[in-house]
Amino acid sequence: MAKTVLSAKEKSILHSMFLRSHLVFTAFTMVKMEANAFTISMAPAIEDLYKDDPQGKIEAYRRHQNFFNTHAVPLSFIVGLSYAMEKEHVENGSVDGKTIESIKAALMGPTAGMFDSIFFNCLRVIAAGIAIGLCSEGNILGTLIFILLYGVTQSITKYYFVNWGYIYGTSFIDTVFSSGLMNALIKSASVLGLMMVGAMSASFVNVPLNWVISVGQTSVNVGEIFDSIFPGLLGIMLLFFLIWLIKKGARPTQLVLGILAFGLLGALIHIF
Amino acid sequence: MSVTTALIVAFVYVVIYNLDNLWLSWQCLSRPIVIAPVAGLFLGDFRTGIIMGAGLESIFMGISAIGGSIPADPTTASIVAVAYAITSGGDMETGLAIALPIGTLMTSFSGILMPFFSSLAAYWEKLATSGNIKNFTWQVIVVGNCQTLISGAILFVGLAYGVSGLSSLLGSLPAWVLTGLGAATSMMLAVGFAILTSMIWSGEIGIFFFVGYILARFVGLGSLQIALLGAAIAITMFFSEKRIIDLKNSLDSSASASKGDDFF
Repeated sequence: MAKTVLSAKEKSILHSMFLRSHLVFTAFTMVKMEANAFTISMAPAIEDLYKDDPQGKIEAYRRHQNFFNTHAVPLSFIVGLSYAMEKEHVENGSVDGKTIESIKAALMGPTAGMFDSIFFNCLRVIAAGIAIGLCSEGNILGTLIFILLYGVTQSITKYYFVNWGYIYGTSFIDTVFSSGLMNALIKSASVLGLMMVGAMSASFVNVPLNWVISVGQTSVNVGEIFDSIFPGLLGIMLLFFLIWLIKKGARPTQLVLGILAFGLLGALIHIF
Repeated sequence: MSVTTALIVAFVYVVIYNLDNLWLSWQCLSRPIVIAPVAGLFLGDFRTGIIMGAGLESIFMGISAIGGSIPADPTTASIVAVAYAITSGGDMETGLAIALPIGTLMTSFSGILMPFFSSLAAYWEKLATSGNIKNFTWQVIVVGNCQTLISGAILFVGLAYGVSGLSSLLGSLPAWVLTGLGAATSMMLAVGFAILTSMIWSGEIGIFFFVGYILARFVGLGSLQIALLGAAIAITMFFSEKRIIDLKNSLDSSASASKGDDFF
């Protein structure tokens, strides 16, 4: 792979993306989690790449408004990589929107687990161990060391991750593109992406049905019956019902408000 | 606790929480070891804040145990415990005991409000695709930062006037409202996943959605393990696709070569 030399414009876009990728949990929602932060982080790249293509710009924003969730640090890497993929999408058209989504979906689950272990379970514990010793003697140095080891390191890592995501993403895409294997990559990426979405749905999507039907002396919990047929069956049914509604042209507003109304009505008639 | 102290505590809470979780996303400054000294500094006893920070961090990391139940939220608990110790000279255990009901109330109120803030997701999507991204960016930042003000207000009222008023406010809501909002919150993620799945779904490979689902739900594998298995499938698929592409290319070239023969 040839060494990629960044232009001044790319450097300033990546710098802006690095700063914006700190807003990970701003306006976090239970519908799309970190999607707002991802959109804000991608904005400098999208504004530049699609400046002459308003329709493409809207499509790109829609892509990066999708559900996203990972640890705060690897978000930067995926943002940088998405910039590389969007650039390829605009310049050569070989990477389609679906592939960009698949690769994002494939990366968010495993990176979340990996970086939780590295930062939260390892680095934080080491930093706190040092800091507690100093602070218990009334030395503020302990707190400063904690911030340096556990906080500042996250930003330093993010800085490199945004750049690496872009540089290695670009050179990887170039290699695949020049060898004519882009279609093979697109297909295998979508397999991995869809598999990870399935895995995440299993742990995230949940219908808390608690509907007990009493017949004479005995009572039956409907939720448990569904779970005994196929664990999480109700969640899958809800998910595919919503997908069907989306295919029929339902707007996200209608879906979200529908779920809210369904939850309240369900609780009123005691099925939750 | 005096109104002034309560105001300082709520202010420190909101500022540190927003800076740490919303502006830096470190989740570092809201740990007891940082927020306790900061609270001490604002309340006029820096040294007590630092020393209590060490003790509180040990408690919340599970290093040292303390009798009774520990509040779920380390940030609220630490800041209240430090404020209590500095203003009334009490010990850490009493401070944590005061923090417990306030922390519970803050969790309940954010649980009630979460579905409403989450409902904004549809609005955010509309705004992001409206073509005016500056508008989207500042609205996300303003709304995101204002969400913390609600927790800050509950913390202030709880410290200055006691928790009984807030508890009775919460108690006056019918039970089905709380249950319904909780159920709605846990089902809302299905909307996000439905949009994502509908964008990357294709009939030919749709079965892999269920492979991932089964590995997570039935086999109980973590996402890294599933990703490695998925990568194995994807790599195999990549090379079989590559063979097909190579074969197609060689067929095309031999076809054009034979066509060439006919022509001449």
